[in-house]
Amino acid sequence: MGGMDDLYREQILEHHRRPHNQAPLAAPSVSLEGRNPNCGDVINLQLQLDDAGVITDVAFSGRGCAISQAGTSLITDELRGKSVDEILGLGSPFVMELLGVEVGPSRIHCALLGLETTQKALATLRTT
Amino acid sequence: MGAWHNANGTLDPVKVRAAYPILATTPGGRPLHYLDSAATAQRPQRVVDAVSNYLLTANANPHRGSYTLGQMATEGYEGARARIAKYLNVPASELVMLGSATEALNLVARSWGKANLRRGDVVLVTEAEHHANLIPWQQITREMDADLEFIPVDDITGEILWDRLDSLMKLKPKIVAVGHVSNVLGSIAPLAQIAEAAHAVGALLCVDGCQAVANMPVSIPDLGADFYAFSAHKMGGLFSGGGLWARADLLAEMAPIETGGDMIRGVRLRDADFAEGTQRFEAGTPDASGAVALAAACDLLDEFGRDKIHAHESLMLERVLRELPEVLPDARILGPRDASQRAGLVAFSSDLVHAHDLAEILDRRGVAIRAGHHCAMPLHEQLELSASARVSVAPYTTNDDLDALFAGLRDARTVFER
Repeated sequence: MGGMDDLYREQILEHHRRPHNQAPLAAPSVSLEGRNPNCGDVINLQLQLDDAGVITDVAFSGRGCAISQAGTSLITDELRGKSVDEILGLGSPFVMELLGVEVGPSRIHCALLGLETTQKALATLRTT
Repeated sequence: MGAWHNANGTLDPVKVRAAYPILATTPGGRPLHYLDSAATAQRPQRVVDAVSNYLLTANANPHRGSYTLGQMATEGYEGARARIAKYLNVPASELVMLGSATEALNLVARSWGKANLRRGDVVLVTEAEHHANLIPWQQITREMDADLEFIPVDDITGEILWDRLDSLMKLKPKIVAVGHVSNVLGSIAPLAQIAEAAHAVGALLCVDGCQAVANMPVSIPDLGADFYAFSAHKMGGLFSGGGLWARADLLAEMAPIETGGDMIRGVRLRDADFAEGTQRFEAGTPDASGAVALAAACDLLDEFGRDKIHAHESLMLERVLRELPEVLPDARILGPRDASQRAGLVAFSSDLVHAHDLAEILDRRGVAIRAGHHCAMPLHEQLELSASARVSVAPYTTNDDLDALFAGLRDARTVFER
């Protein structure tokens, strides 16, 4: 049960029970739905950027497993003040560090849903 | 009663387990409690032996070799078709051997659908269908400018509202496509009633039998279906393999959707005549070893007795339905509460523990269940769920497996209630 206690630590469960950054933004610069097609985890992410391309605010809503929702909650806490380039440079080690646990291959997509959706949203912003 | 039964004639799952070597393995160092047979059944040693034997002693290209070994290969393949046909109580001449049930349902939609659907025609399916019995109909109705209509489900339990059937028949559908047993709800469709209603307005009935063929007696002529699709790997056969039964007169009128070797009578440079019967739909070298495997699986399931399999599985499901609400009080059970209306599986959701988290925690005890939308996303949308947890049973499921399941559910409660 050691592995389970790592994955479902109090910090993760707390973010799952009371996810942060839930208040919708009035005028987001970009919104994107992120989905885990095999599992059905879903988040709706909103980002507010300033003219310099730095994230000033973030919000999300969603439903899914504890890992997907807590992972998104944790990552959204880290976004404010970061530039698009900084965020596009982040990868799974960053999320693992936030979660404080190495997530196995069957749950990695849950853990990365928040970061990957953020990166996709920022990519759409760049191409438009 | 033979090797698999108790003295009173009921199936003994402990004896049955001996036929499936994987059940004695310990993946990740834990005893295996496999409760995901609805996704794929475990393979009996006998099936693997049958494949080995065929490939090591009778291997040649079926339908081609004029030499002795080639005839042995052909006999092995056609003998397997006959065995599988007998399992379903249909003539071998009406059984098309394909790669999967998905292929079978695509064949019906793309061949029968293309020839018979016109602009404004209606295809009727349920909101609970597996994607394999939904997307092919989405595609062909779009292509033919026909309409796709739905038999609705209850928003809370997900149960299919068959009492809407009569009013929906006023749409005069050309075909009604339903699952024999829902792969999420576990419910057995009232096929006799559906067939009568469909045929009364001139519609055909296409049945996805994937979740029925391994879990209960299935005699296709008694069902009233016009098409019946099934999958080998849910019966203990190989991953590759499945089939389509269709009424002979329908098969005779259907055009092949794949062409090539083995499905022809004569070929000229600019055109070709196609073979008759099932062969017309089996282009290319057939998966003969897969057919042989499935035939061996049919032998074993018949030795168990499908009525006895169904009775055993009903007992297991009854226990799940009874104890689940005690162990996980907020469990929302999808489908009927009565085990007698089910075959093979129970799916549920919980606001306390999401299905993925549940599957993860159960895995710590070696309990394997399915978490997700089970290839039925529209049904989950309708129920406002992102996923559900599915427990499915088999002839080899024991009370020991269910004990481990409930112990794991208690673990999950402990974690999420803390």
